[in-house]
Amino acid sequence: MEPEESISKLLRLKRYEKPRPDYFEDFLAEFQLRQRAEVIHRPFWNIAWDRFSSLFAPIPVPRLVTASSFAAAVIAAGVTLNWSGNEAGVTPATWNLSSPAQTRLGSTQIAFPPTKKRVSSVQYVLPTRPTGYASAHSF
Amino acid sequence: MDTPETPDSELVSRTQAGDARAFDELVVRFSPRLYGLVYNMTASHEDTNDLLQDIFAKAYRSIKGFQGKSAFYTWMHTIAVNMTINFLKKRNRRRTMSLDDVDNGILSDPDFIKATSHGDPSQDANLVELQKKLNESMLKLSHEHRAVVTMFDIQGMPHAEIAKILKISEGTVRSRLFYAHRQLQNHLQEFMKN
Repeated sequence: MEPEESISKLLRLKRYEKPRPDYFEDFLAEFQLRQRAEVIHRPFWNIAWDRFSSLFAPIPVPRLVTASSFAAAVIAAGVTLNWSGNEAGVTPATWNLSSPAQTRLGSTQIAFPPTKKRVSSVQYVLPTRPTGYASAHSF
Repeated sequence: MDTPETPDSELVSRTQAGDARAFDELVVRFSPRLYGLVYNMTASHEDTNDLLQDIFAKAYRSIKGFQGKSAFYTWMHTIAVNMTINFLKKRNRRRTMSLDDVDNGILSDPDFIKATSHGDPSQDANLVELQKKLNESMLKLSHEHRAVVTMFDIQGMPHAEIAKILKISEGTVRSRLFYAHRQLQNHLQEFMKN
């Protein structure tokens, strides 16, 4: 027998190395479990991106176009926010790091309410009867 | 479940449209074959199981990008081979030999007995040793050579199919096979005399 043929014959023996018979049934079940776990633990941005991409799914739009339109939308949103800040008369030159947060944010709507109000709005309600180890039932 | 006659392309289209059950059918269809591919490259059932899960998960995530330029079969095998080679590079030789050195189950497999028994007790007694030596020899090959040997000699794929999966020429497939066979011959000389 030729050496080449002998090698091939020996290697063919490895075809008989198989997992246990019920392995593949369990494999599918394990795969489904892992898939579900992956969906639960996926980061928010990943899910958001998938949903955004699915909007374009019926149209054969290349992935690059989808990505660039998403990037364009993000940039446009950023520019719009920045422009509205300038509209309110707040320019980067009018504030620095020591300025109050309200000024830096550039919008009175985003500003936090005064601290005193927030403190005074907190109320603690105490139970009318003190908690103890004695039985709560009274006859 | 779909009948086995459902073409891969139809199951792929349904998966792309969001039908997860269609992908389950593809998993059922391809897992035995891909198991053989990955197992013969890693020589470990445990690693094969984990890797095969990752391979199907990656395929599921990427299936929307599959445009059908090649057969789904080729696409799946390409993912499997690339991921297995990357895994083997990272494994960094944690062990010099697989824990599955000798697959005890195989020795009671009727097909295996029929294929290897020659009525010579001394030869049959050497089967364990042969299998061990065969696995050792396979592990001595480079990842790329092992992939070619696995697909050609063990899985019986044609050169052209292997070339498509590995994205190399048929000539390269043949030269890799020639080199790998020569290396294996050197390691398995004593068994080849029989």
